Amino acid sequence: MRAAEMNIRRFRTSDYACQFMTHDSPIHRLGPGTKLAAGTALSACAIAVRTPEQLLVLLAVALGCFFLARLTPYDLWRDTRVLVFLGVAVTAAYCALHGASDFWPGVRTSTQIILFYLPGAVFLRTTRTSEVMTGFSRVIPYRISFLLFVSVRFVPFFLRELEEISAAQRLRGAKIRLRDQADPRNWCDLFHCLVVPLMVRALKTAEELSRSAESRGFGECEQRSYAGIAGLRVAAKR
Amino acid sequence: MNLSITSLSYRYPGATEPALADISCEVGAGECVCFTGDSGCGKSTLLLAIKGALRGGSRVGSIEIPPHAGDGRIPVGIVFQNAESQIVCTTAGEEVAFAPENLCIPREEIAERVALALRAVGLEGCQKRNVDRFSAGQKQRLAIASVLSANPGILLLDEPSSQLDRRSKEELRDTLGWLKREGYIIVLAEHDILPFAGIIDRYFVMERGKIVSVLSMPPAPRAANRSFPARLEHGGAPVLTVRGLHLGYPETGAVLNGVDLTVGEGERVHLLGDNGAGKSTLFRALCGLARPDLGTVELAGIGKPVPERLAGKVGVLFQNPTRQLFAESVQEEVSFTLKREGRPLREIDGLVAEALAHCRIAHLAGRTPLTLSFGEQHRVALASVLAGRPRLLLLDEPFAGLDMAQRGELLEILGELPARFGTSVLIASHDRLPVPGWADRELILKDGRVTDARG
Repeated sequence: MRAAEMNIRRFRTSDYACQFMTHDSPIHRLGPGTKLAAGTALSACAIAVRTPEQLLVLLAVALGCFFLARLTPYDLWRDTRVLVFLGVAVTAAYCALHGASDFWPGVRTSTQIILFYLPGAVFLRTTRTSEVMTGFSRVIPYRISFLLFVSVRFVPFFLRELEEISAAQRLRGAKIRLRDQADPRNWCDLFHCLVVPLMVRALKTAEELSRSAESRGFGECEQRSYAGIAGLRVAAKR
Repeated sequence: MNLSITSLSYRYPGATEPALADISCEVGAGECVCFTGDSGCGKSTLLLAIKGALRGGSRVGSIEIPPHAGDGRIPVGIVFQNAESQIVCTTAGEEVAFAPENLCIPREEIAERVALALRAVGLEGCQKRNVDRFSAGQKQRLAIASVLSANPGILLLDEPSSQLDRRSKEELRDTLGWLKREGYIIVLAEHDILPFAGIIDRYFVMERGKIVSVLSMPPAPRAANRSFPARLEHGGAPVLTVRGLHLGYPETGAVLNGVDLTVGEGERVHLLGDNGAGKSTLFRALCGLARPDLGTVELAGIGKPVPERLAGKVGVLFQNPTRQLFAESVQEEVSFTLKREGRPLREIDGLVAEALAHCRIAHLAGRTPLTLSFGEQHRVALASVLAGRPRLLLLDEPFAGLDMAQRGELLEILGELPARFGTSVLIASHDRLPVPGWADRELILKDGRVTDARG
């Protein structure tokens, strides 16, 4: 058992869900606009599919894109594990409400949720900050594109913060585990011990980040140039 | 051209006391100066004033900085204390390109600047590396590179070493030494000045917003002059027993590689380890927050500990404990664990009063924790885990963000715990303790194993 666990740990290739991976792959080389459009189309298809055959084809396409980006099964597990647990719960709820005959609709809905989300995970794992900002800034002011991307970029940071805060509060006796939430009397712990400290951290981090960006000239000029990763590579070779 | 500050005073909006009072000094090209003093003495405010980043408030006096030599540069670059929260981009190259991009520099020139800045901090060849995988020291140097790419003449660093271990501090000192030789004006605001003693030309000691002395040698650390109750005779059963603990991650390899550790009742132990040595991982494994691959842990009489069973028996303060604060008053914050344990109200009041008095913050009982200074918040977090008189107190990097006087006071409070409550204390940090002789035992965590510092 322990040996098996140690083997599993050797396959860990990312630190958190949707972490950007610095590989070179056909998906990495696609422009952010193309990826965003293709991802949106795939997510839309995830909502539209109805039959098992359609679902299988879409699953194959989504997984194909995922592995074409040189991401690993462990990355896939990191990105989807919450949804897998959610899917099991959804399927169980379907069966509990309508009997075994609703097993298939439960499985379909769960898979659709995962397929809806998966293109977004591929996008985040294969797209650099600068690429997204460049892409967004073609259609919206660069200040807003920065705001949008930083919001997404710091999601993993706040997930880590949440984990740290949660660990500290559990050690102080806060009842914030999922299983504790079955008792509504514990819901106030969830708000006071997790949400309040996280909001404080978010505001503080936002202040530090904006101060850092401003001190590096962000917002000083009307326009902004973009080096692009190709440009940086050229200099690195010199 | 020099950085010249003349009779500078500044008062924050709504403040009764000035944050800076009559500051005057001059710093020349290729010079490195350090503003030092206790928390709240005004050194960070002074850096913000030099940067021109203070908003509102009332200011008198003048700051003259060397004029721009051409466009496309930010004359004053500032690196803030927490490198983690000032990194905007995903890769090192993008992060360093951020400033010149903001200045609308042409693409080719940005690439040159990025390469030069990374080379200056010893991170050449790291353009494509994901910043998440950088060590604390590398992140600090990346933060410096991301400022250097804007070609500043003056470099301000606000407590740059607070998150760094000895080796990272040496790397940072070498980087700053190189920049100094290149003609940069370097201004540090720092508590821990000894690691940079070789490159600092002058020390400006500050108190309550004023420069009280200017020295050419580092001022003597004040924390070292404290005394502590004598160590207890340790006859009781161990409060912590760890045997053959292994824990690893593929991205870092084995972090803990057969840790054996025992802490006796009422014992004061210091565990020294560099950044990334596994101190936090060890603490997480001890509390049941990380499952070890192999080995056993017995904590306060609990085998296979889980966090919920440890509340009240074991107190744990992780790095930056202020982020666990949420209550509307200090009294409420400190009583939280006791209430969750279901203790009677009268007992809770007594224990809270005792913990507040022990942590020397009884006068803050009615205040809102989030409105307090960092040092006071730190003390509230400590009181909140001490209120239940735990058998063992685990502290992970408890000195981060505290000045030398606060560090000394913290050790004083912790030093009295064994005699007063029989509480054992285990401190993990990347620095030696500011007061030699505080610990009954000094241990070192290296290569995944714990060894006695005396060999």
